[in-house]
Amino acid sequence: MNKNKQTRRLTMILVGFAALALFAFTNHGGGVYKTNTGNISFFSHTNVEDISAINHKVKTAFDASSGKIQFSVLVKDFEFAKALMQEHFNENYMESTKFPKATFNGMIENVEAIDFSTNGNYTATVMGELTIKGVTKEVSTTSTFKVNNGTVNGMTKFILNPEDYNIEIPKVVSNKISREIEITVDADYTHSH
Amino acid sequence: MKKTLIILIAILAVGFIGYKMYNKPHTDVQATEVLKSFSAEELFTVFDLGEAQAMAQFADQVIGVNGVVYQKDFGNELEPQIVLEANGDNGYIRCGFKPEEKSKLEKIKEGQSVKVKGLCKGINGSEELDLLADIDVVMSNCIIIE
Repeated sequence: MNKNKQTRRLTMILVGFAALALFAFTNHGGGVYKTNTGNISFFSHTNVEDISAINHKVKTAFDASSGKIQFSVLVKDFEFAKALMQEHFNENYMESTKFPKATFNGMIENVEAIDFSTNGNYTATVMGELTIKGVTKEVSTTSTFKVNNGTVNGMTKFILNPEDYNIEIPKVVSNKISREIEITVDADYTHSH
Repeated sequence: MKKTLIILIAILAVGFIGYKMYNKPHTDVQATEVLKSFSAEELFTVFDLGEAQAMAQFADQVIGVNGVVYQKDFGNELEPQIVLEANGDNGYIRCGFKPEEKSKLEKIKEGQSVKVKGLCKGINGSEELDLLADIDVVMSNCIIIE
């Protein structure tokens, strides 16, 4: 076999692989959906006080083919109405200089049930490992994925117990901070590649 | 009588200070002098090479940063953002603004050099999370200086 023929054969094989890869990605509305501007808020209710805070720079992405979904959020970037509460949250409860990030690494369990090429609301179970203040726990939530012309809004609400993540609430303020913190996630993903 | 009056004044003073502390305002970025000014590349490197030390030194401090606008990100109407180039295609400075600053951001063009002042919040993204491998140094409550 001469060199030219060999090169041609190699090229054809490569083109074949590339076409196959392209087909695999496009056929299932697959690929990665991403945002750097997701919202995560939390809400604590007691008879004495309601406390809430929100973060608008949540980094999150999911792989529409495998169902892998990840979040990374800066603890210091949660904004409270009161500066003093924000200070206490960061310094006393979260130690956010030492533990700057909270992360989630998990799976959309039934990702194949979501048709990313057809507009509509889909319900899915998201399961994975949530790491806050250096403590990792398994969490599972029911989430909605709203597909709208190629963009996807992901939303979920779940309850967290601060003690599970070594967040100690001093007795003096125990009537002001709930043992059940409601977390709301709301992110508008766009197709990235 | 005099003693009672002193005690009463002391109680009032403590109460007033407590009330003031409870309602103390958020850092006024406009009125606060920057702790340090960086180029986008410098700021990224400081956090990328030594997160713990950079957090201890600069987190929640007002800093200045100048760089080239890579992208305007208005994906969240509650906090319009601009992204500055800092380390090729996997390192950026992400600056968040109050919604009322959006009109100023609209005039900025991608590729333009800007100087921003804001509260430094840390470095987001993770090499362990493969989908989030592009990394941002994050700033909040930003204002455009020039």
